Amino acid sequence: MNDVKILIVDDEENIRFLFKEELEEEGYSVETATNGLEAIKKAKETKYDLIVMDIKMPGMDGIQALNEIKNFNKEQMVILCSAYGEFKQDFSSWISDAYVVKSSDTSELKQTIKSMLTT
Amino acid sequence: MNPVEFLGNIIEVSHSNLEISSRINAILNIISYNMDFDEVIVFTSDNDKRLTCKYKNQKSVLFDVLDKYRCHIGEGIIGSVAQKRTPQYFNDKNMPPRFGCLFYSEIDRLLEKYKIFAFIPLSDDSYIYGVLVLCSRSRHILMDAEKILLSIVSREIGGVLRTNDLLLSSKKRISELATLSELGKVLTSNLELQMLLKDIALIIARALNALFITIKIDNTFFAAGPHKYTYGNIYPQFEHYVNNLEQKAVQDKKTVSLINQLHDENDVSIKYILRSTPIMSKDKVLGIITICERIPQKDNAYGQNEGYLINNFASYITNGLENILLNIKLKDIIKELNSAQKRIIEQEKFKCLGEMTANIAHEIRNPLVVIGGFTKRLAKKLHMNQTESKYIDIITNEVSRLEAILNDVLNYVKDTPAPFESCKINDCIDEVLYLFSTDTAWSNTQILKDYDNNLPSVICDMQQIKQVLINIIINANEAMDGKGTITIKTEKTEEANGRQYVVVSIADSGGGIDPSDINNIFNPFFTTKERGTGLGLAISNKIILNHGGKIEIENVVGKGAKFFIYLPVKTIKNGEVSI
Repeated sequence: MNDVKILIVDDEENIRFLFKEELEEEGYSVETATNGLEAIKKAKETKYDLIVMDIKMPGMDGIQALNEIKNFNKEQMVILCSAYGEFKQDFSSWISDAYVVKSSDTSELKQTIKSMLTT
Repeated sequence: MNPVEFLGNIIEVSHSNLEISSRINAILNIISYNMDFDEVIVFTSDNDKRLTCKYKNQKSVLFDVLDKYRCHIGEGIIGSVAQKRTPQYFNDKNMPPRFGCLFYSEIDRLLEKYKIFAFIPLSDDSYIYGVLVLCSRSRHILMDAEKILLSIVSREIGGVLRTNDLLLSSKKRISELATLSELGKVLTSNLELQMLLKDIALIIARALNALFITIKIDNTFFAAGPHKYTYGNIYPQFEHYVNNLEQKAVQDKKTVSLINQLHDENDVSIKYILRSTPIMSKDKVLGIITICERIPQKDNAYGQNEGYLINNFASYITNGLENILLNIKLKDIIKELNSAQKRIIEQEKFKCLGEMTANIAHEIRNPLVVIGGFTKRLAKKLHMNQTESKYIDIITNEVSRLEAILNDVLNYVKDTPAPFESCKINDCIDEVLYLFSTDTAWSNTQILKDYDNNLPSVICDMQQIKQVLINIIINANEAMDGKGTITIKTEKTEEANGRQYVVVSIADSGGGIDPSDINNIFNPFFTTKERGTGLGLAISNKIILNHGGKIEIENVVGKGAKFFIYLPVKTIKNGEVSI
């Protein structure tokens, strides 16, 4: 499992830290980025199996970053993970592969990641 | 006597500027002197159809006796001449016993000395002004020419009396009109009720020379407060009468009056007239006005015609009070409207607040996720005893509870689902624009409307559509920094696939959207405003998409942005909506 690389993009340090810990515990290799621009840069340098992307971030927001990344790597899997649930049903109109509402219970996120990696 | 000179003298006097009694007395003296009459007396006909002995020549003796009595028209020789309007001439042989109204010995005794009598009506074709009475001791016969001369003179005196009557009544009328116009001015002013009553009382008191006036207004029609004003002092002896009169006037709904007498310190009786008139609006008694006037001692007919004045005043006051009532009602309605408008604005703000709440909830959720997430991690890492596990459980349960509350709040904010209804989009826009009509941020914004008045209705959630309109119109105004023109156009279009839409276009003159932003403006949390939530357009877009419509943008950099809101024209058939 060590070869599965995940990029967590979130402007909040503690969220990054939490997700990193949780996902590393699951056996993934986890890197982080603090906003859309950094995420794009990292995604160009490294091939990630999955990107977990927050939406609201300073600099460049998640949806813009998602579009950019999909532009140069259509295959890149991205999960949008936002504290705001309102747009969950709209995610399909964007080109993300999944939408998870942030929660202290990370099992939904982990479940989504697992199922996406196995398909 | 030269008749021409005689008439000339009389005409000269009658046309002079002398006061009425001097003029008539002078004429009577001329007659007395030139025609050798010892008594030349004028009885005037008063409003009460009685005759009063009023003017005399200088050496008249009879006047002082005749002055004591008044006679009715038709009574005695004087009364019958006034009634028949034909002159009568007598000598001491055929003089009838009734000179005036009564048989009275004083007169009979005095009359014995006179040889001839003449009674000539002072009248014109329509009205009798009085009777001219002439008696002579020295003459025995009156020539026809003299009778003609007297009839000419009597016409002249009648003319003087008539002119005087006209003058007095027109003066009176003018002063009444002046009073009414003064009242009108006061009543249409915006005075407080109490001040108004005071002014009314003062004006009427001045006009009628009243001793006291009291105006009471029923409080139930107006805001509370002592709405009563009294000008002057009510004599304690009168208070009882005033109260009774007021009650009767309110009960009968008409003017009632009462004449009362008091004696002054010299025991001279003074007559007063009290009048109460209800101030009526339709059938409601709004208040009551009571006026007390002193009756002039000499004026026997006083009070016969003055009643109409108080009625006039009352109806004027009614008009004024009705205006005030209307004003009060209007103020209440405006107050209500204002508060209703405020409520609406609050409600609309709350909708926008929905965005704020969503944003705040978002900000809260992140730390919650962190707290809850790490607590769970702690629980996993530490080997705790029962108590410690219980503590951890409490924390994680509470976090979950908070997260659930946040979800509820967001769900509540994002949609309180309203049934779709048929809505006229032009009205909808106007209602939205009305919200901005009193907002200072909009004072330099010009709004041009170009509505298609034959638009079909759209089936929609009106509140949501309004929210979209508010979002886009506010964005337009903010893009122009509150200075410029917003053009709102509505029209119907049909697309190639046959679908019909009502299109609302909102164009601003704010210089347009930066091309690098244009693809992101519908993204949630994307904002170019310093304090924007980035949710306004995202939610608007979502609402319109949910309605089966779409939002398009035509952006001209340097000029402005134009938003097109497409709403499908749907029809309801058998309760089902179809496109």
